[in-house]
Amino acid sequence: MIKITKLGLDAAFRAFIAQELYVHSEATSYLFVRNFKVQLEEAFIAGEGPYRIALKFDGQGWLRMEALTHFEETAEGRLLLAGYDDLGRMNVALHLGKEPFPE
Amino acid sequence: MKIRDDKSKRKLLAVFAHPDDESFICGGTLAKYAAMGVEITLVSATRGEMGRRMGNPPYVNRETMPAIREQELNKACEALGIERLIFFDIRDKMVEFYDYELLVNRIAALMEEIRPDVVLTFHEVFGGHPDHCAIGKATTDAFRRASQPSSLYYISFGDAMEAPESFGYAKKDIVKIDIRHHLEAKLAAFRAHRCQTEMDKWVWEPDRKVLARFGQAEYFIAANTPVGGTKDDLF
Repeated sequence: MIKITKLGLDAAFRAFIAQELYVHSEATSYLFVRNFKVQLEEAFIAGEGPYRIALKFDGQGWLRMEALTHFEETAEGRLLLAGYDDLGRMNVALHLGKEPFPE
Repeated sequence: MKIRDDKSKRKLLAVFAHPDDESFICGGTLAKYAAMGVEITLVSATRGEMGRRMGNPPYVNRETMPAIREQELNKACEALGIERLIFFDIRDKMVEFYDYELLVNRIAALMEEIRPDVVLTFHEVFGGHPDHCAIGKATTDAFRRASQPSSLYYISFGDAMEAPESFGYAKKDIVKIDIRHHLEAKLAAFRAHRCQTEMDKWVWEPDRKVLARFGQAEYFIAANTPVGGTKDDLF
């Protein structure tokens, strides 16, 4: 994974706009969702790092997360975002894929 | 140690939830029995793929985690002398939501196949994590159904079982395994689980310092009347 830059991440999000995609999202140990299927309309990036991200989907849906620090576009065409603390622990994760993630 | 005249190897089956349970909690004991020729099978219900520790600096993400932790567990098994490793492919954190009957049957089938002399698992109440408690309960039920002549023990954390009364047990229920001669193997297993231990500075200090921090014993709660065994031996 590499450190988020707004330009780089914005370009990565663009490949998913106006498409049906699968989402994995989690925040610390308290919650995760995996393979929610949504139609992505817009992706917003805010902050100067760590970053806040908001995804608008399905006409009336929002997913908003914060504390994201790193991202990676994988060979399988997935976009992985993560927020690590200074000991390497992952606080948050947000993954987009055009195919479902392994269950 | 009882002297056994049969030709068959003594066998131990450990049924845990995550890669690293075997090393962090009872690695010294597993290394000790492996060194004595006991054939050990380890079940890890999950690949620990929902862990939060990603290495320091991080080299793991959520999607690469299952394969990396499998690899690290394989290295830990090598360090401890565990011969056979089985994954149940249940998602980390989801063991308690897995089909219970199916889970019990899968464990019972393994017991039938291996016919272990000793079974280790988590205590279903004092397991410390929902996955631990769930796999402990299912293993205990599978053990009862199998009704084989073997001994079931619950693993425990640190030296909590020096005072078993606070958990509703008596001293007579506790087996204390001396692991002083197997701390190097335990340390190697800790380090094999690199992404989980890398943020703990003490694990990576010079061996001598780390070994001095390990406990000298590991403690087990006898869940049934053990078939063999004494206060200091599981077999």
